[in-house]
Amino acid sequence: MSEAAFSTQPSRTGRRIRRAILIAFLLVVVVVLVLPLTLTQQAADANLDPTTLGIDFAINKSIVRTETTIAMFVALAAAWNLIGGLTGYAAFGNVAFFGLGAYTVGFLTDKQHLSFALALPLAPLVAAAFAGLIGVPLLRLRGHYFAIATLGTGVAVGEVIKNLDVFGGATGLFPPILRHADALFFYLMAANAGLAVVVTWLVMRSRFGYGLIAIRENEEAASVLGVNTTAYKVGAFALAAALTGLAGGIFAQWSSFIDQESVFPIQYNVQMILMAIIGGAGTLFGPVAGAIVLEWLILSLAGGGASAVYAQMGLGVLLAVTVIFVPRGVVDFFGGSSKLSLGYFRRSLRETSV
Amino acid sequence: MGGRIRGLMSGIAALSVLVACGGATGGGTTTTTGADIILGAPLSLTGSSSKEGGLAKQGYDMWQTWVNQQGGINVKGVKHKVQIKYADDQSKPDISAQLTQSLITDQKVQFLLGPYGSGPTASDAVIAEKNSIPMVEGNGAAQAIFSKGYKYTFGVLSPANKYLQGVIDLAATLNPKPSTIAMLAADDSFSQEVAAAVNDYAPGKGFSVVYNQKYPNGSTDVSSLVAAAKAKNPDILLNSGHLAEAIAINKAAKDLQLNAKLFAYSVGPSTPDFVNALGKDSYYVMDGSQWTPQVKYKPTFYLSVADYTAAYKSTFNTQEDPDYHVAESTAACLALQKAIENAGTVTNTDKVRDALASLDVMTFFGEIKFDNRGVNVTKPMVVEQIQTDGKHHTVFPSDVADKQVQYPTPPWSQR
Repeated sequence: MSEAAFSTQPSRTGRRIRRAILIAFLLVVVVVLVLPLTLTQQAADANLDPTTLGIDFAINKSIVRTETTIAMFVALAAAWNLIGGLTGYAAFGNVAFFGLGAYTVGFLTDKQHLSFALALPLAPLVAAAFAGLIGVPLLRLRGHYFAIATLGTGVAVGEVIKNLDVFGGATGLFPPILRHADALFFYLMAANAGLAVVVTWLVMRSRFGYGLIAIRENEEAASVLGVNTTAYKVGAFALAAALTGLAGGIFAQWSSFIDQESVFPIQYNVQMILMAIIGGAGTLFGPVAGAIVLEWLILSLAGGGASAVYAQMGLGVLLAVTVIFVPRGVVDFFGGSSKLSLGYFRRSLRETSV
Repeated sequence: MGGRIRGLMSGIAALSVLVACGGATGGGTTTTTGADIILGAPLSLTGSSSKEGGLAKQGYDMWQTWVNQQGGINVKGVKHKVQIKYADDQSKPDISAQLTQSLITDQKVQFLLGPYGSGPTASDAVIAEKNSIPMVEGNGAAQAIFSKGYKYTFGVLSPANKYLQGVIDLAATLNPKPSTIAMLAADDSFSQEVAAAVNDYAPGKGFSVVYNQKYPNGSTDVSSLVAAAKAKNPDILLNSGHLAEAIAINKAAKDLQLNAKLFAYSVGPSTPDFVNALGKDSYYVMDGSQWTPQVKYKPTFYLSVADYTAAYKSTFNTQEDPDYHVAESTAACLALQKAIENAGTVTNTDKVRDALASLDVMTFFGEIKFDNRGVNVTKPMVVEQIQTDGKHHTVFPSDVADKQVQYPTPPWSQR
């Protein structure tokens, strides 16, 4: 290993590589955003009988569905980052907000026959109101206690809803199917993902964001310096809840069937945290990168039987390895000032071991 | 180094020969043979319902082997062989929906066979609907799926509300006639539909439901429930739940000396596990079953009941009878096959949908005929009883039964 490996000053070639990666990334984003527009009615019907058109389309419903799911997890991971990454509170129950958002839309469209457009704005409001309500007592807890309390809340909300017959009880809810709307749901999910990134960017540049980081680094000191810690923490929690609830609301109409099992899955909690941490908790693009890569992996391995099971085990190992060797996430190698090298791992290991 | 690369190259060569062979055997061509029909089946081969998903796959595979031995599905004199593409949905509704879309778009499946369970069936029904692809399912009994006006989903099973109706019909014929019912039910969608139907149906047959209680799905500590039921001294103890809960309730009934004259559980007693876990305490217990190997239907199509049971045993090299999950899955395939034949087309999926809607066929599984929701309301549920010979016998309805019911159940102290 040369001395350069330990250098924290990025070289000129390093900058060039980063710029190239950024341009490539932006190009991919543009292509991903534009392609679903070609999913016209004609193209959508082509998967019934592709021979009649004689064209193989670059985009199809299956790809749009995969992209929609990935965009959903980008929003979930970026939202978690606000409370888990920036504020340093390990929230393990964000799936409660996803489920509440989903049930808000499900209840209003299926039982009250409200239109999706009118129901959707209420999803983030309900989720944020709930976060505000439970945030005041829960955010007084620290560390493991906060993690366990939020985990319990996530499970409890799902169980309560399942036992209320007005919300469909054990059967669940069936928002009416919106036909030929695959591209619409993709754009809604992508817009929510974009919103989550923009909100994170604004927060990181505001007095509010510096307050959150101060709380993460040393809550007592922040309080002494005049940060209203309770208001800041609850604010971050509610903001995360609103973005997560909005994703849930879109999901409910998109899948047209929700029950406790499908919108309060405990594994979503683990997945969104994993995505944020592997990508880089507390950073702007870390959770985005983590969500894209991990969810793409999960979806491409799904359906393969044993490989999906091994993938689940692999995710656990990946988390452990990341936390020990790459505690700042993989984006540290791109946007930050670190280089991928053996020396980096050695230093990380020194930092993370007791 | 060179050796390793050479080894790799020869490996690739061997692999490509294999692939080429596989490709060649796939599409045999004679004058009466058409293109293969591609079916898609998302199934839980891992995850919480992997066992049931595996049974459903056995049912699909049995039909596929049989129909391909016949040369394929006969569409206006042209025989089309069948390929079933499976995808493991890990027992998760969202993954199941994703895979169903991928089967339709990427694997170009023309028709769908259902997944296992009411949750995945509901989420896949939405995908079938959005893509206008007919789906015939045999493993999602909750009726809510069929109350939303979906046009492309058809279920061959008797719906959840029929599960314990046969037991009540049977009880009404018994002497001394029982009159009171205690109803216990797990809080999942299927079990709740079963219980709601009992509460609606029993009063009309002269019974009163004296105790009705919901418990969390998966409970095994049920003694307080059973004690509360015993306080009402019911003639009939009914449970709608799953295997583990049925075993726990039967044990608690013995411990607390709940001496009902008739015990019946929606799901559980039909499996060998129930008898193995409880031994002699399992005797006299009844269940509602979609199908048993003893039923006496006279099919006009496919195998007879006895031949089906024999074919199952030889195909999977086992001594055990086929479970009803296997039979209902095969029945879903039969409904689809008959509809394609009746429609006389493979490519016009809407015509096949219409043929499913107007289907009426007698199979080894019973009559398959869908109402306007896509539910098979024609086929009755049968009542099965574990009798004192330690075996399962079909006891109701009498035209398909192989034994008289053993009634009343003696008190626990005299067993």
